Order: sequence, then C-alpha cells, then structure tokens
Amino acid sequence: MPLLEKFTVAGQLKSGLGHAGKDPTSVVFDKLNSATEGVVAGRVTILAGTNNYLGLTFDPACIAAGVAAMKSQGTGTTGSRMANGSYAAHGALEAELADFYQCSKAMVFSTGYAANLGVLSALLGKGDAVLLDSDAHASLYDGCRMSEADIYRFKHNDVQSLERRMARLGDRADRCLIVVEGMYSVLGDCAPLKEIVEIKERYGASLLVDEAHSLGVFGDRGCGVAEAQGVLDKVDFTVGTFSKSLGAMGGFCVSNHDVLGLFRYVSRPFMFTASPSPSVMATTREALKQLRTRPELKATLWSNARRLYSGLQDLGFELGPEVSPVIAVRCQDRETALAKWNQLLESGVYVNMMLPPATPGGASFLRCSISAAHTAEQISTIIEKFADLKDL
Amino acid sequence: MSNTTEAVGEKLAEILTRYLKNNWAGTPSSKKKITASTNMVTELQLDSFQVMEFMLEVEDHFDIAVDLDSLSNIHTISDLAGVVIAAHPE
Repeated sequence: MPLLEKFTVAGQLKSGLGHAGKDPTSVVFDKLNSATEGVVAGRVTILAGTNNYLGLTFDPACIAAGVAAMKSQGTGTTGSRMANGSYAAHGALEAELADFYQCSKAMVFSTGYAANLGVLSALLGKGDAVLLDSDAHASLYDGCRMSEADIYRFKHNDVQSLERRMARLGDRADRCLIVVEGMYSVLGDCAPLKEIVEIKERYGASLLVDEAHSLGVFGDRGCGVAEAQGVLDKVDFTVGTFSKSLGAMGGFCVSNHDVLGLFRYVSRPFMFTASPSPSVMATTREALKQLRTRPELKATLWSNARRLYSGLQDLGFELGPEVSPVIAVRCQDRETALAKWNQLLESGVYVNMMLPPATPGGASFLRCSISAAHTAEQISTIIEKFADLKDL
Repeated sequence: MSNTTEAVGEKLAEILTRYLKNNWAGTPSSKKKITASTNMVTELQLDSFQVMEFMLEVEDHFDIAVDLDSLSNIHTISDLAGVVIAAHPE
C-alpha cells in the first residue's frame, strides 16, 4: 500500500534496536519505588536517565498538593483556556513564574514541546529570520518550521559561526531571533550566552533561550544558564518545561515584552489544546516553591553529578565536555552502545540510549541524568556497573 | 567565484569529500568518489542530518545563507549548486 511504504525504513530501524537484547525504546517500569528506583522486568533498577534533576516526583508536599487539587477541582480541565476558561491555578502559576524570573509576563502551556511550538510560531512570521543552534532540540526546529520565517543553522555553541550568519542577514538582522538552549540535553554542555547576548545587542536582534534542562540546575536562584552567566535580563524570551526539575508536565514562557500577553490570541498550540490539569498545576506550583526554598537540592544534585562525572572519567570513558547533571558517555558505534546499554540494564542501572540522528555528530551515547535524590550508594553502584562494561 | 553550475558543483564535490573524510571516516560514503553528478541520497546515502551539517561548511565557504527549507528537495550536487548560485550575492 503506497501510503504506508514510508514506514518500511522505520520498521527496519525499530527491529534493529532489539538485536542486542532489549529495545531501549520499549522499556517498561512496572513499579516506581522512588524518584531514583524502579522495577524493570522484575529487577530493582537504579533510574539514572529520567531528567528528574531535583528528585521532586515523590516529594511529599508536591504529592499532597496534587491530591488536594484533584479532589477539589477534578481530574482535568476538559478544554482549552480560550474556549473553556482558565482555572485560578493557571494564572497563579503564571504570576509565580513571572516573579521567579523577575519578568513582567508569563504564559503556561500544556507541554514543553507545545511551549516551543506555541512561542516560536506566534513570534515569527514571513520575512523574519531565525538563527538556530545546530544541536537545538526537535521542538525548537519544529516551532521554527511552523512559522513562515527563514531558518538558518549555525554551528553548535560557535559564536563566530553565529556572527557570520548574522552579518549575512544585513538589514534583516533586527528581524532575527537567535534560538539556543541553556544546557543542551545530549552532552550537557552550556551555551556561551554572554557572547551570544553581545552579538544580539550589537546587531539589534532578539534572543530566545530554552532552559528546559537548566531550570533548577543553574543560577543562584535556579533560573537557568542565563542567570548563571549574568545575562538573564538580556534574554528576550525564556522558555522551559515543568517535566524535568519540577517533576510534572507542561511548559512556559516568560518575558519582559508585553506582546507575550497577546500570544494566547495567536498561538495555535496554546489555543487548540486542553489546558494543564488542576493536579499538574498544583504539583508544579509546589515544586517551584520547593526549588525556591530548598537550595540544598541543587547543591546535592551538583555534588552527585561531580562524583559520577569524575568516577566515569577515572574509568577512562569519553564524556561530554563539561561536568553537569547530564553525563554522556560516548560509544564507538551504535552496536557497542546498544550492547552496553543492555548490559547496564541487566545489571540494574537504567540510562538513556542516544542514537543518530538525534545526536551531535552522528555519535552514539549512553546518557546519564543525575538527580538530587540519588544516594551516595546509588552513585557508587552506577560507577561500578560502568566499570564492568570495560570488559566488553 | 565562477558562477557556473559546473564550477560550483566541482567545488561542492571537493568540500563534501573533505567533510566526509573529516567527520564520517570509516563509513562507506567517505570512500566514494564524489563528482558534480553524485546523488547524495541514493549514492552516498547521506541522511538529513549529514546534509544539514555539510551545508554549514558550504555556507561558510561561499559566504552565503541557505534557508533550511531550501534543503528539502536537494538530492544531487547539481541541485545544491543551483541553490548556492541562487543564494550568492554576486
């Protein structure tokens, strides 16, 4: 059937994933014991690939807030905010996010993916230009493509590559949006935001930073990499997600540009999606409160990340360029990566499998994401299990 | 720059050969002889990611900006030469 022929290649790729044992895309957690431990195929497994940076998914206060909201407001909102109205919690969370980022405007979306689609498709139009980091997340690519703007990629974290492309735009530079991430999700490296801001200001362009993986991880207040590099007030639009450090689901955008208040009238991914449910709003608000009032979570997270990074480095693994809560272990090829990933899982450690084309340079990685909730013993076990891989 | 499709195609073949050798050494495509008539998809089996990465080199060499959408219908070096010529300010 010609309509379905395009799936032949996808089917071949899918079947190839299972050759070394378990298919990394089909892992099922039968039970979750905590933020860092689950049960996979009957085996107690350390979860080291969940992006649960602050370990708040099992936080008692977050759970209590979610349960109370569900009991008092029901299971879902059953429609979009434009058609069915907003719940008070939507506005409250937006006010809290604006206060957290010290911005005048905030907007909440149903997922992080929808936030990037919603913001970029609303912000950009025909005749505008985007300069997009080549390692940017798929949601940023998709958001740019959803607009009618011209999209130009620059080399990952390469400010000279960015500036060359900015210069080529000529008098269109003031209609250009630079799109980058704070911390990149595959290698855990950070954008040189100070230098990027300098280029943006010199050419009169604008800047959007996706802090999906850096919220709660970087900066004294936990706002992200822009705060850590002292340029938070120079970022035009900050987007992020509730599904990582805040342990929930949803996305947001904050800005000091008043137009953000108008996005809800033009952003289709906002207008035509059911709004976040009461329990999600409640757990997110409580998690944001925890993030703001418990700096020890971030300190523990970094302590755990440093320990795992140095442990794996000492074992001779090739790692991402910076110590961060995302630790990517480079494998020589796809088959080796799949074999090592399977061996780790069978020994009770779950990490992420990162394969081309979703990876920089077409390389294959085992990606660990570390949590403040990991115990010292769990970190030791992860290092031990990686040490065993050296025998492969 | 000589703006003939043939001249641009030859230069692109040279850049692609170097790009594959530097970044994809060991793959079958890095060992093939590339000419202006080479089909990047069927002959070299480059995926969309590799084509996008190669384009970063092409843009810098010719000092041009090529919109991502322009790449969707490029299959051969000759196709790409047409895009480069269209994008060049001269």
